[in-house]
Amino acid sequence: MHEMSITQAMLDLALEHAEGHRITDIYLQVGRMSLIVPGSVEFYFEYLSQGTLAEGATLHFETVPIEITCLDCGRRADLSNLADEPPRTIMVEALARACQCGSKNLRLTGGTGFDMVSLEVRD
Amino acid sequence: MVKIPVLKSVTEANALLAEALRARFGQQDVLVLNIIASPGAGKTTLLERTIEKLNGELRLSVIEGDPTTSLDAERVAAAGVPVVQINTDGGCHLEARMIQAALEQLDVDDADVVIIENVGNLLCPTGWDLGEDAKVVVASLPEGDDKPLKYPMAFATAQAMVINKVDLEPYLPAKASVLRQNALLINPDLAVFEVSALTGQGLDGWVDWIREKLAEKREFQCTKCP
Repeated sequence: MHEMSITQAMLDLALEHAEGHRITDIYLQVGRMSLIVPGSVEFYFEYLSQGTLAEGATLHFETVPIEITCLDCGRRADLSNLADEPPRTIMVEALARACQCGSKNLRLTGGTGFDMVSLEVRD
Repeated sequence: MVKIPVLKSVTEANALLAEALRARFGQQDVLVLNIIASPGAGKTTLLERTIEKLNGELRLSVIEGDPTTSLDAERVAAAGVPVVQINTDGGCHLEARMIQAALEQLDVDDADVVIIENVGNLLCPTGWDLGEDAKVVVASLPEGDDKPLKYPMAFATAQAMVINKVDLEPYLPAKASVLRQNALLINPDLAVFEVSALTGQGLDGWVDWIREKLAEKREFQCTKCP
């Protein structure tokens, strides 16, 4: 259900930007903490895009790593080197550790979004 | 083949509408809270007790979100405040357009606080801005004290956490202190309240927080007055 409404929002945004052209490709960025499952988006997209100018378009997903920022020294760490680990586990472990400056004043600052980067359309 | 840059959040349409709602609530000096929790965490009971505590002092209005039925709206109406029920027909969260539609039936011009009870779910509601001033997550002790680790976004995006059903602690393996610690690990800025909505234990701190948030909002508005 979650991905169905988010996929409808994505389709609407794509159709709005395509301005009446046929869409062939949609480039998306998915944060590792976005709670979005690409396979589920693809499944709903196939259904929801039927009869629209986006029918048959290919979805391209790029993963955006989790980013943690230290509020005391401003240092940012992205957890892309741990990409194979389950995202919630690595986030919790990263937040439980201290920053190199010794601070534990850490916040989750990236990797939570689901963004559309660009579209490809036919002339 | 033509490439069209978009560079927008997929839920931008919702975000824009939420901002419009936020501006409208801001002009009316209304504090808006978006309550997020699992089914059965005690959102509606907490609402009923909150209404009892604040009725007569602050004017409250409630927007109820549920997949089906108006059972919760009936409970809130019985507590004596204006309420609108949104049925999502199986949908797992509320969206800004639903709040906009609800406002056609709910006059918030004279309200001090609007409380939105989201659909019982710790995942999806966190991704949809409703134009609220603050999200509040309710976690009840019988659900376990590891919920913040399993559903971190609900806790990361909230400003306050109400730990409900603490009166049951002696009978449960879960501990309020552990739940608190896990939530603060995800979000050190959380205001935490340990309550039992059933017995009334701990509710004073929670309603004080609502008063403070309302005062903060009105102070902020006033500094911007010409």
